[in-house]
Amino acid sequence: MQRLHPPTLVFIGILALAAAIVPYLFPVSSYVVQMFMQAVTYAVAVLGMVVVLGYTGQINLAQAAFFGFGAYGVALGTVGGGLGFWISLGLGVGVATFAGFLLGATTIRLGGHYLAMITISFQQIFDLVLVNWIEVTRGPDGIAGIERPSLFGYVLEDDRAYLLFCALVLYALVFAVWWLPNTRLGRAMRSVRENQLAAEVVGVHTLRTKVVAFALSALLGAIGGGLYAAGFAYISPDNFNFARSVEFLTASLLGGVQSPFGGVIGTVLIVQMPEWLKQLPEAMRFIKDVYLAVYGIGVILIMVFLPEGIWGLIKLWRGRFAKPVVTDTSGIAPLDFDVSGKNGGVLLKLTGLAKHFGGLKAVDGIDLEVQRGTVHALIGPNGSGKTTSLNVVSGIYKPTLGSVVLDGEDVSQTQPHQRAGRGVGRTFQNIRLFATLSALENVMVGAQRDRNPIQGGNRALRARAMSALQFVGLADRAHVIVRNLPYGHQRLVEIARVLAGHPKLLLLDEPAAGLNQTEKMELVELLKRLRGHGLTVFLIDHDMGLVEKVSDRISVLNFGRKIAEGSPQEVLRNPDVIAAYLGTEGKVN
Amino acid sequence: MQILFDNLQVLFQGLALGSIYSLVALGFVLIIRATNVVNFAQGDFAMLGAYAMVMFFTGLEWPYWLAFIASLVAMAIFGVIFNYGVYYPLRHRSFLPVIISTLGASIFLQNTVLAIFGPQPRPMDKVLAADGITVGGVFLDSQYLVILAVTMAMVLFTYVFFEHTLLGKKLQATSQDKDMARLLGIPVALMISITFIYSAVLGGLAGVLVGPILFVSIGMGSIIALKAFAATIIGGFGDVTGAIVGGLLLGVIESLAAYHISVPYKDAYAFLALFIFLLIRPSGIFGEKVSEKA
Amino acid sequence: MGIRIHRALVGIALAVAAVSVQAQGTIRIGLVNEATGPNAEAGVYTVNGARLALEEVNAAGGILGRKAELELEDNQSTNPGTVLAFSKLFAQKDIVAIIGPIRSTQTQAASPTIAKSGIPVMIGGTDPTLTKVNNRWLFRGRPSDSYSSRVIADFGINTLKRSKWAIIHSTDAFGAGGMNALVSALKAQGITPVLVQGYTNNSQDFTPVVLAIKKSGADIIGSYMTNSPDVGIFAKQLRQLGLNAEWVGSSSVVTDTAMKLAGPALHGVYSIADFTPDANDESKAYTAKYRARYKLDPDVYSSWAYDAMKVLALAINNAKATDPESIRKGIVGIRGWKGVEGTYTFDDKGDGLRGYNVVKNEGGRVTFIKHIDFKD
Repeated sequence: MQRLHPPTLVFIGILALAAAIVPYLFPVSSYVVQMFMQAVTYAVAVLGMVVVLGYTGQINLAQAAFFGFGAYGVALGTVGGGLGFWISLGLGVGVATFAGFLLGATTIRLGGHYLAMITISFQQIFDLVLVNWIEVTRGPDGIAGIERPSLFGYVLEDDRAYLLFCALVLYALVFAVWWLPNTRLGRAMRSVRENQLAAEVVGVHTLRTKVVAFALSALLGAIGGGLYAAGFAYISPDNFNFARSVEFLTASLLGGVQSPFGGVIGTVLIVQMPEWLKQLPEAMRFIKDVYLAVYGIGVILIMVFLPEGIWGLIKLWRGRFAKPVVTDTSGIAPLDFDVSGKNGGVLLKLTGLAKHFGGLKAVDGIDLEVQRGTVHALIGPNGSGKTTSLNVVSGIYKPTLGSVVLDGEDVSQTQPHQRAGRGVGRTFQNIRLFATLSALENVMVGAQRDRNPIQGGNRALRARAMSALQFVGLADRAHVIVRNLPYGHQRLVEIARVLAGHPKLLLLDEPAAGLNQTEKMELVELLKRLRGHGLTVFLIDHDMGLVEKVSDRISVLNFGRKIAEGSPQEVLRNPDVIAAYLGTEGKVN
Repeated sequence: MQILFDNLQVLFQGLALGSIYSLVALGFVLIIRATNVVNFAQGDFAMLGAYAMVMFFTGLEWPYWLAFIASLVAMAIFGVIFNYGVYYPLRHRSFLPVIISTLGASIFLQNTVLAIFGPQPRPMDKVLAADGITVGGVFLDSQYLVILAVTMAMVLFTYVFFEHTLLGKKLQATSQDKDMARLLGIPVALMISITFIYSAVLGGLAGVLVGPILFVSIGMGSIIALKAFAATIIGGFGDVTGAIVGGLLLGVIESLAAYHISVPYKDAYAFLALFIFLLIRPSGIFGEKVSEKA
Repeated sequence: MGIRIHRALVGIALAVAAVSVQAQGTIRIGLVNEATGPNAEAGVYTVNGARLALEEVNAAGGILGRKAELELEDNQSTNPGTVLAFSKLFAQKDIVAIIGPIRSTQTQAASPTIAKSGIPVMIGGTDPTLTKVNNRWLFRGRPSDSYSSRVIADFGINTLKRSKWAIIHSTDAFGAGGMNALVSALKAQGITPVLVQGYTNNSQDFTPVVLAIKKSGADIIGSYMTNSPDVGIFAKQLRQLGLNAEWVGSSSVVTDTAMKLAGPALHGVYSIADFTPDANDESKAYTAKYRARYKLDPDVYSSWAYDAMKVLALAINNAKATDPESIRKGIVGIRGWKGVEGTYTFDDKGDGLRGYNVVKNEGGRVTFIKHIDFKD
């Protein structure tokens, strides 16, 4: 996330304020005021798209329905309901947020295409109900005579005053949405967008995050809708149909869905574009007739050439003048570890652990104990069940049979983020970082897991993350976007992300995969330092050299069963182990 | 007795409309399997096919069979254009930009056809001259009988094609693992093009067949596509048999609910059925469990 | 003293100058039009009709001796678009009156804006409530649905001698409004319909509707359907499932498109129509002029706009002023003026027409059957 400097902020602020009071300074027609009113209220709804799609990466094709909840809340409340603007708006927003909550909850098992379909279905049903449930919604006739709010006893009857009011609401919400990414919730959202599985495993409650994102999106949509309804005094179902949802989506994409500023820019363009086309010289009038067709092509072109929208272009341009961030690496506290324990020597105990996929018994009854403060390696030929075991221990799979006991507590049926909250941290063979976040932000996501024993807010998380980066030797690269780091460094950031969360048990999934010899040497040193701090490590790897150097104890799997266990020397001399390896691929390096 | 006939009549209509959903759903599924994205312009393939038929048959006054073939050929060509214009530039990105791109394509196609043909819906001739037959008090529309027959034939053809021909197997290999297919020397880009062609032809076929009944209009594809998509999810995401069964089931649910409960909410039943399936059995009837691998 | 006279002279001179400038200026009338969007085709007809009337008005000496001019504003065939289009026209201070949309929901949407502006607007929406909601600036250039339903009921009961009614309606504003009016029109004649069945626009299958009619034992169908494809599908399935009840529909059953789509399935169906080419001398003359000018057959979209333009010109000429109150007085003062849609006599609410033609689809040709007018 690129920060805006104070002068830029002041500039944007002045510009925004100026735009809002233009109608007071110059004589503009009521038509122009209404166009602005449309742009401003739509922009509030588009901010919702920024939160749910831009930050959290969840597609939402029902934003117009949320917009509609707010609008119908205000309309039904003030016309006939006699409730006044504020209570009506509150009701509309409340219902919308609840609906957003429900839609978000459907992501418990389904994402991607399903979500697109679910939100479209929701949108369609909403539309059908608006049109057909005439007793309540007044059907396709719509509702006229909607009241404006009053502020400090002053009713905003004048269009210019109301526009100013809406603009101020928009600015406040833009500021809030702009602030969001750097909060705990915002980082959790962005981690879900970048890599949901990794987010879950490092301790982000991904379902809750998505539900909150949808609820927030609905809330913003409904506020926009409420303002719209009061602004135009009339609404009907065709303001809130699927086409409007697509319009919100397009506006957010055009402007740049990952930034509230982009969302606002996109909305203004989408609202104004038909107007500009009307002004075209006679020879180019045909463009107006095919306007919507051009609009469709535009969507494709944005996707292909402007994936980050117009704001992305502005960011790129600003980036050329930006000074590289220099990270202050002085005064970073040394990393402390959580090696406390009260349940004797065994930290992790697997009993009769089995995982079957249909007929395939990937893991078939393993008993295994990892002693506190040791480095324990799990080896075996390809397909022997190593990675599956690790996935069961970290909670990605639930065991078919048997149990996983961590520090005396049975965690077999818990979710990955709950295990992270109990001190299980893991890395992945194919590195799973949050690619567009900085190294520091990646590690902060690891630091903000539940029950992480650090006090304080963002500042403490940041300090903890810097300590972890310092420990792996990357403190000076803290502000680099991780996808720009070399592979070896990415591996280290992934380890730092786990360490920031005070893990009791560190699970490493083939940490040496893809590293060159120098990097491997460094990794061995790092693992030895971790052991020196008394951290318990459970790792799987192919690299016998590495395993032999760092392990206290080795277990060997073949065909989903444990065939040997002991000190490195014992295990590597075991004839069964040699047979298992040579009998398959002879992978002893 | 009359009640039984009435129910049978409703059932027949449901099956017939359902088989249209099935045809479009089949096109959906093939593209999902090959590219792992949902094509939101699938319904517009049907609309385009129908307008191609209007152009060749009503406009140029070609014989019915020739116009029919020409429409399908036009759709095949369109499939290639669609692939290279909408999917190919985004093939290395996540599903989200591709979905949005197909949405854009849908807006483009509808409004382009609107600009060319105007907003008035058009009639179209049936395949057979006879209007239909009455069997035991139930009227069977000849066009619906044709639709049912063609759907069954296409399902059979698709099965034989994918399971028993080399090209079909190559297509299957591509849809299962592109990298592996590439290593085996299968031209993946070509395979994806073929998938789009096949899918566009299926969509066009659905449009030409349903034209005489629902008439040819700009929006004719949209609502069919939504139902067809719901059918693919009910049947099991990405499953060919599921798409067929899901489509038929949806058509029947819709018709029976409209007859027995309420007509104005007819479209809502399809989406409600979808919701219920997603909550109770998100993997659909034939699908495997939905889960992400580590 | 001298200075005073001087000032007075300057004042008079200025006033004279102002009058002469005005006399040279045109009288501008706005037209909110469906130029783009799903109803763009209808929009073309509306402009054609209004233009034809404008040319005739100007040829006959203009309005108050000045040339009249049309200012078009697109509403994109949507409700919000209509509100915006009106605000844009109201912002131009020299527009004295406006010809509004033909659709009820669009008018409903813009009604508060129009009420606030205080500019007279001719509307074509047939929802009876439009002119009854405390908006003194709406004037209807077509008969309202309370008359269409009364004509349907009157014709079905008194001419066709049927009494078991099934009402089929779209659930949109037009359909629901028409259904309500028809139910009360039948009630006034002591009849309760045996079936009232709604459907959503763009239904793909009307089998359940047809079966419901069959079950109800109805011998006459009254319909308020919005979209032509729905009319087409319904008509075909009605005949396929062997129903031969009489059918008197709102004008959507005799539109060009509906008749093309349904073919023989709509033969023998009655409809009400506010414009029929051979209904009276005015409509016959209009049809000839329209054909000559545009090489097209006129329809209601063009004829109502033609009449609306003429009504405005007549009203302003009668009132001899262009301020809103005078124009309003001019319009409600019109008595027995013969337009192509019928004879206009405006009441204080702004309704000018109180009757409809009944027409029949005879083998694909629309023929005039009779005109039914009401006094109240």
